[in-house]
Amino acid sequence: MFTRRTFCQIGAASVGSLALRSFGLLPALAQSSPDYRALVCVFLLGGNDSNNMIIPMDDANYQAYRALRGDIALTGSALAPTVQSIDGKPYAFHAKLAELSNLFSSGKLAVAANVGPLVQPLSRVQFQQGLAPVPSNLFSHEDQTIRWQTSMAQDTIVISTETGWAGRAADYISAQKANSSQFPPFLSVAGNTLLGTGAITQPLVIAPGQSLGLIGFNKTPASQRRWSALNSLLSLESGVSLVQASNDMLAHSIADATGLNNALSKATQLKTQFPNTPLGMQLRQVAQIIQVHTDLGMRRQIFFCCMGGFDTHTSELSSLNYIYSLLSPALAAFFDATEELGMAQSVTTFTESEFNRTFQLTSGGGTDHGWGGHQLILGGAVQGGQVFGRFPKFQFGGPDDTDTRGRWIPTTSIDQYGATLCSWFGIPDAILPSVFPNLKNFGSSKLGFMG
Amino acid sequence: MHLLSKGKIMLKSYSELFLLTAILVISAATPGKCQSSGSPVVMTDRAAARFLDQATWGPTPASITKLQLMGIRNWLAWQFSLNSSELPDQPIVLGGGQNLDPIPVQRAFFQNTVTGEDQLRQRVAFALSEIWVVGWQQIREVYAIPPYWRIFRDNAFANYRDILEAVTLNPAMGSYLNMANNNKGNPAYGTAANENYARELMQLFTLGLTQLNQDGSPVLDQNHKPVPTYSASVVPNMAKALTGWTYPTAPGAVTQDNNWSPYYIGRMFAVERNHDTTAKTIFGNITIPSGQTAEQDLVSVYVALMQQSTMAPFVCQQLIQHLVTSNPSPAYIQRVSNVFLDNGRGVRGDLRAVITAILTDPEARAGDDPGALTNPNFGHLREPVLFIANILRGLNATLGPNSLLNYGTAVLGQNPFYAPSVFSYFSPRFHTEKGLLGPEFQIYSTQTAADRANTINSALYGSLDGTMKPDDGSTKTDLTLFTGPTKELNRQSAGDLDTMLDSISRVFLHHSMSSNLYQAAYSAAQTAGDKKARAQAALYIVLTSGEYQIIK
Repeated sequence: MFTRRTFCQIGAASVGSLALRSFGLLPALAQSSPDYRALVCVFLLGGNDSNNMIIPMDDANYQAYRALRGDIALTGSALAPTVQSIDGKPYAFHAKLAELSNLFSSGKLAVAANVGPLVQPLSRVQFQQGLAPVPSNLFSHEDQTIRWQTSMAQDTIVISTETGWAGRAADYISAQKANSSQFPPFLSVAGNTLLGTGAITQPLVIAPGQSLGLIGFNKTPASQRRWSALNSLLSLESGVSLVQASNDMLAHSIADATGLNNALSKATQLKTQFPNTPLGMQLRQVAQIIQVHTDLGMRRQIFFCCMGGFDTHTSELSSLNYIYSLLSPALAAFFDATEELGMAQSVTTFTESEFNRTFQLTSGGGTDHGWGGHQLILGGAVQGGQVFGRFPKFQFGGPDDTDTRGRWIPTTSIDQYGATLCSWFGIPDAILPSVFPNLKNFGSSKLGFMG
Repeated sequence: MHLLSKGKIMLKSYSELFLLTAILVISAATPGKCQSSGSPVVMTDRAAARFLDQATWGPTPASITKLQLMGIRNWLAWQFSLNSSELPDQPIVLGGGQNLDPIPVQRAFFQNTVTGEDQLRQRVAFALSEIWVVGWQQIREVYAIPPYWRIFRDNAFANYRDILEAVTLNPAMGSYLNMANNNKGNPAYGTAANENYARELMQLFTLGLTQLNQDGSPVLDQNHKPVPTYSASVVPNMAKALTGWTYPTAPGAVTQDNNWSPYYIGRMFAVERNHDTTAKTIFGNITIPSGQTAEQDLVSVYVALMQQSTMAPFVCQQLIQHLVTSNPSPAYIQRVSNVFLDNGRGVRGDLRAVITAILTDPEARAGDDPGALTNPNFGHLREPVLFIANILRGLNATLGPNSLLNYGTAVLGQNPFYAPSVFSYFSPRFHTEKGLLGPEFQIYSTQTAADRANTINSALYGSLDGTMKPDDGSTKTDLTLFTGPTKELNRQSAGDLDTMLDSISRVFLHHSMSSNLYQAAYSAAQTAGDKKARAQAALYIVLTSGEYQIIK
């Protein structure tokens, strides 16, 4: 019979350096604290126009914003009421993000400004004249999604060994035996994702509201015989690679289904109402799994959710109104659920999106693919009500623009963003460079939004 | 008498015996015609079934026999001549509003996979539609689907440029990637030309991001870095070249410079005052001169794209992955790319020649010979539509007026015509945990692996899309191929199980069932009760196995 251990052994034999380095040199995470911590990634697929998500409202910035964004500049009631950050600066969220604006005011939500993939800090001159390395295949959806999920700014030579940064963090958690069960530390409720693929751990994927497990079996001898036959086949090493990969996935699914279903059967109904939207259902599922984390033997977990619809090349005003009106209540409900569970301090939700969009609009009232963008961090442990990092200078062809359309060169790297999250999660400073290889190229590995 | 001595042919009627005789006669008269890789002159049952797993939605006893009768070359010529699968036009208005019901189109699609004769055309068209993606959740109006689908059906064996031209001016793609109403930039409003179609046309439909050698490997610069196909500044220039097109004018509407309401029938047309006439420098340092019309710029773009030799491996590798194997050797890609570049008569982009090259390549055909050494990395995961269609054909299914098979494939990550984005259902670059390319594995997860097994359970023990009542209009399967006549379900004799497993192996595994799988299926079936229960148990074990899920 196949067990999860098989995966770990295969993985450890082929990689191992991360795991080995962590043993002995550092205090085992299990000894450091008995608490539970979860990271929840909400990926905004398509390239969120975060230029219209949060806007600096000081005169200089807002006037530049209005002048350059033309027909898609938000004014008046298209903006939520202006809020003050802790350091006294005025910002306004998109009107459809009213719940998030309130969470910013109440200190539960922080913003990281102009984050994106970078090899090293980069200036406009360096970019335009090719004087410094830049991320591979900028402005491509698929490639920049990979950048955000791997935190590898450039394609590796052997792309097939790519792992996600959360997968590498999960590898460490697994090697430290931080969790008392073999249940995967990374769980996606939105399909396969490179983010959670580690060298020794693999994501568990479930669909919200659907249970894993095979149907059609009962206690009759014939059924038991069929069940044994199925499992005996899955335990064989076929020597045929894709066949093996196919069998391994089903084996992985069967192995984790029982534990998950048993744990979830102990969940109680959450009082928090989630919107009946794809993201709402994903986040409700995550909240339910967090609720039963002790039954699963989990002390460290990473979750992946995803929402599409952000590729707003045309008619952006109406598109953003719609998608933000789906995003904001779902995130707010999830925060409420963590409070209901008494676990708001233990759960940190953060956004990723493959890129921001051009500050300049297209002829159809939309925007094209950009680069650095603003991200949201939400939770009880977040140093909320603040903007970390700096906004780009709103100027076409200005110091932060790659060209003349307002594709911002990031001023904070994904490595710094992810390392700040992982540090709170329990990845020691000495391990962070193995999770974020380019981190050493940036001055600070802690952006401050997690204290 | 290779065929008969192997004992793999089961004759159930005189007509099959007649066909076999015919095969032998034809084969004797035209030696070497069936095979190009040194296999026996007569196509074995295994070779025929295996070929049909690559070239159709799945082998059936009748299609295996037909291919054996015709041989590959004649079969291909026959398939190239067929164009029978239709997706019926849908009403624009339904119930007083927009028609947003895709079920009739999806039902026709699955019906075609099961009973349409033009199997190869359907497979190639579907593969092409997974490259030139329109995701209909964004278009929503379903009357636009059949005309768009016909681009791929009608040009599956035509020239790649035919598809390039037809898609570029198709109003549904115009809406999806904003080629429609992409007006030139207006300084007064601070706008620029929309880059959406320009970018994805190069990145996803024709060239990819990295220049490729003909064997699919990246072209490297002196620092061993991949050479990009185009620089960032090319995209705004391509966007300018593609300005000035708008939707066809709907019947009864007045033609405007910008028809803002989409109308999805016919071709987009140019409005010169919305076209950017400045000079544009695009990939390969090609300059499109100033002063050209929108149509002239478009022709310049077509010509420039077709000149790029990178297109050949970029397109061919994906077609090989869809039809034959996820990890083709560089030599295989090169052989097919060479045909793409020149079909032997100086024509570039001839898909009929490319498909022939893909399916008759020695690497594709190597596994036809059971004794040949096979590459352990060969093959590909059945994508959900292929998985369901294959089961339907193998289980001799009949679709009814209430068949809803798209729900089942949607759960598995593939709702036909509703790819989640222009990046399709899965990426040709996706890797498995084992480090191999496995595009279809992108939508194969712990969840969908269980869902596949549960789909098989439904197909065998329940219903794929309805109740178990015979008259509910849902999809019905038929196991008599494996059980024998219904009235004899309880009459069992020694050897029955072997015969059943042989016929399962023939249809679903082209006679390549491993001994391990054979034993597991035998063990599951042995205690299962009557012949139907035995067939169900054996089929469950076979269809849930990796050996079946991966087409080798």
